[in-house]
Amino acid sequence: MKIKIIEKKNIKDLLKEAAAEWNVYAPQRNLGGDVWFEALSKPGTDLDKALESVVLEGPDTVISAKDIFFPQLETLFSFNDGKIHEKIESSPKLLFGVRPCDLKGILFADAFFKRNLEDKYYLSRVENRFIVVIGCLKPPRSSCFCTSAMTGPFAKEGFDLQLVEYKDLYLVETGSQSGEEFILKFKKYFKDCPCDFEKTVDEVKSRAAGSVELKVDFQKALELMGQESFIPEENYKRIGERCIYCGGCLYACPTCTCFNVFDNSKDKSGERMRNWDGCVYEGYTRETSGHNPRKDKWQRASRRYEHKLKYDYKQAGSSGCVGCGRCLTSCPVDIGMSKFIQEITEKRKIM
Amino acid sequence: MPRVLTTCIYCGCGCGLYLVSDGKRLTGAYPSKNHPVSRGALCVKGWNCYEFSNDLNRLTTPLIKKSGKFVQASWDEALGLIADKFCGFRDKFGPDALAFLSSAKTTNEENFLMMKLARAVFKTNNVDHCARLCHASTVVGLAATFGSGAMTNSINEFEDAEVILITGSDTTAQHPLIGSRVVNAVKDRGAKLIVIDPRAIELAKYAVIHARQRNGTDVAWINGLINVIISENLLDKKFIEERTEGFESLKDLVKEYTPEYVEKVTSIPKEKLVEIARIYAKARKAMIIYSMGITQHTTGVDNVKSLANLAMVTGHIGFASCGVNPLRGQNNVQGSCDTGALPNLFSGYQAVADEAVRKKFEAAWDVQGLPAKPGLTVTEIISALGNGSVKGLYIMGENPVISDPDSNHVKECLGKAEFLVVQDIFMTDTAEYADVVLPSASFAEKDGTFTSTERRVEKIRKAVEPPAEAKPDWQILCDVAKKMGYKRMDYNHPSEIMDEIAGLTPIYGGISYGRLDPYGIQWPCPAKDHPGTPVLHKEKFTRGKGAFMPRPYIPPAEPVDEEYNFVLSTGRVYWHWHTRTMTNRTSTLERESPEAYVEMNTEDAKALGIRENQIIKVSSRRGTISLKTRLGDKVVKGSLFIPFHFREAAANVLTICAVDPIAKIPEYKVCAAKVEKI
Repeated sequence: MKIKIIEKKNIKDLLKEAAAEWNVYAPQRNLGGDVWFEALSKPGTDLDKALESVVLEGPDTVISAKDIFFPQLETLFSFNDGKIHEKIESSPKLLFGVRPCDLKGILFADAFFKRNLEDKYYLSRVENRFIVVIGCLKPPRSSCFCTSAMTGPFAKEGFDLQLVEYKDLYLVETGSQSGEEFILKFKKYFKDCPCDFEKTVDEVKSRAAGSVELKVDFQKALELMGQESFIPEENYKRIGERCIYCGGCLYACPTCTCFNVFDNSKDKSGERMRNWDGCVYEGYTRETSGHNPRKDKWQRASRRYEHKLKYDYKQAGSSGCVGCGRCLTSCPVDIGMSKFIQEITEKRKIM
Repeated sequence: MPRVLTTCIYCGCGCGLYLVSDGKRLTGAYPSKNHPVSRGALCVKGWNCYEFSNDLNRLTTPLIKKSGKFVQASWDEALGLIADKFCGFRDKFGPDALAFLSSAKTTNEENFLMMKLARAVFKTNNVDHCARLCHASTVVGLAATFGSGAMTNSINEFEDAEVILITGSDTTAQHPLIGSRVVNAVKDRGAKLIVIDPRAIELAKYAVIHARQRNGTDVAWINGLINVIISENLLDKKFIEERTEGFESLKDLVKEYTPEYVEKVTSIPKEKLVEIARIYAKARKAMIIYSMGITQHTTGVDNVKSLANLAMVTGHIGFASCGVNPLRGQNNVQGSCDTGALPNLFSGYQAVADEAVRKKFEAAWDVQGLPAKPGLTVTEIISALGNGSVKGLYIMGENPVISDPDSNHVKECLGKAEFLVVQDIFMTDTAEYADVVLPSASFAEKDGTFTSTERRVEKIRKAVEPPAEAKPDWQILCDVAKKMGYKRMDYNHPSEIMDEIAGLTPIYGGISYGRLDPYGIQWPCPAKDHPGTPVLHKEKFTRGKGAFMPRPYIPPAEPVDEEYNFVLSTGRVYWHWHTRTMTNRTSTLERESPEAYVEMNTEDAKALGIRENQIIKVSSRRGTISLKTRLGDKVVKGSLFIPFHFREAAANVLTICAVDPIAKIPEYKVCAAKVEKI
């Protein structure tokens, strides 16, 4: 593995070239200052303008990159007069500037859509994919707690390339064969490292980790939640009452992958669609008879925490919470995973 | 595809959100992080607002009813027929044989054009919209007392309030991003919440006092509060002296509203009333929130005036985190009023009766003889349709069969209509009665502006094309005007319409599309360099001095009696929007609240042998519906509450078309009903 760097001023040209082969996705600033992780346009159409709005320095994106592979609404297939036409999307995708927590979310979602039933709609989207992670030098959100969840501020694995920001360049870590090939392919942008690579990377990473102010006892939370007898009913009741059931935490969460399936039809034609759903809704567990095993608010509120801190860990071997803090920032009533963890591990009332 | 920043279509919070599309259709909705109201969050309706536009049952072509069935027609044919008929009625029976219902869901530009069409082209003031059914009392009541009929403060100020008094607003259900701010203020910053509502709304659990008054007794308890404030010397004497007039008449009238008397009338225990008065009066940053529970009464205007009196007597006006805050329901009901879709007002609340105002509009619109006499209001228009004095009605984005009181009466009148045009995005219950149906574009398919409840004028931005032949409402209205031969309704883009509005409307004077990026401006904004106004009535009221307008308590129109022994109130649920034509085409929302129900007190149900989830008949003197029960103590004994969204068991079949004498708003919140087991 050759040790390489790339200068910040060359990124936009690199992306422009890459856009000839891949659908390039990068964080871009939209009207009003909000930053979104989304597609740059194809070459020849607004690409330069889109490149101008690319933001790589610690942007706070409202949601993770999850909607690239798992859109909020998608058509699975359309039907007309008894004939079915499936919609599969499998363009090659280059994700540039994914945060480590969001990478964890992507990998978690990959595993989910392979487990039990292989979801072809999701899996075809991720088939041809190249991920460049950029670690965070400081938390994009005050609600970030990636060091506690051990998902950041730099990724340990799962990426093709990881860029470590240092002055006016990025130190490049390769994480896969594809990563190495990419560097070779675009070698005019990847230069030799002018400094002590290992030392610099370590320094940057530990400084970055130290800048994450919000710390919670994540491990203890996992241990507590893992105990069968541990049901913090009082906490769930408070949260269940305060919650306004907007779904924001689920929609914004990088690892939430629940969906609802429904038809949009007129006469004999239409489409079968799926969209984002969530476990906090009453209808999520309501049975046809009207019976609902989780009817009370606190039982529904508890689902989210049990999923992320208990069942995901049991099923997938890793917690569903990536410590991104988006549940808190998308909540109108200031409920968040970090606060829940603090409540149960520190035995105090915050929410 | 890139995301397009726009404004939510549902409530008056006016949240900023981004719509995503695949180039053809919407595929998602996400909150704006930097928008001052959404701040990275949305309610469940906002998060799911991408779905209904895609429904395959959208209206896609004009339709003309031939031999009782709808037949596809060309725009030319449909508009030609409308022009023909409307001209015929006008020439034969006079301009007032026509009427126009505008839409609080459409943009400011579209509302302005609707009233311009009615007035400049057809020369009638018979133009109104659904504010008549919700906040007409506010528009009249606050305009009279303060000089301006809008929310006095801004949404973010709720977070810093010391005391929040909420009456007649189920805030977490109807204005979730405002209700959330109340929750945060109470739970995180120690704000004191007072809830005065017959129902145990969600917010009541956070209230230091929840007073459950009898429906329709609001003037009594408000006068009672003022009585206590005066007798305990908690009034703001300086404010009263310098900023108001008419205090002596108020003092006189509230004398008889002692806590004992108020308890008899309202059932609020006298100790509670005194405590509420003390908490509200002693705090400096005390905010009043109110909505339909105050406005939708035959005494709606009196209720609003009384709240204004309460705020003035304690000096809670004219600085941050105080004031009188009516929460406007629709995404653009504030704007529809601002732009003059009202029978007695042009845009900017300028009176049609004022000759100078008429001359100003005549000059701008290149017409003569704009009508001076105020026109008919919504319920009057419907009745006039039934008795034949209005022959032609043009309805845009409104579904009176479900939303107006006394549905059977509405259906009868619509059935008798000579000629009815309905312009909408879906075939609604109202559209079924139409002679011509016109397909319009949804909020995601056009440019324009909405004005939220905090007077924020903000843009909606087009994300996708409308389906097939559907067009934005503003284009359709221009096409109608052109068919009538009128030359001054021809625009390339809604920004030009806003320029025209700004030129004629002092409170919007400094507003133009170039200034509205990214998150809009709060009116008044009288000049091009004016930054907008978060707090009204700072140094003086819009009318100069605030006017105390003391009003006596008058009971509701239809009291309970032996036969109809339940008080029936109607309202909303969190998941659905109004007549549910959009939210029932949204999978998550429809699943969460799939069917109609009636709230009944557990003890009443027990006494009648009625179980939870049992289908019963609820009747009033107007009609009968069958629906499932939901038992509990959300309503007190002797009361019923029915959400009005569900066409399958429409609450408005039961409601009474008794209106406030000045505002002409129906008394949705009180009528008499009875129940029967099936």
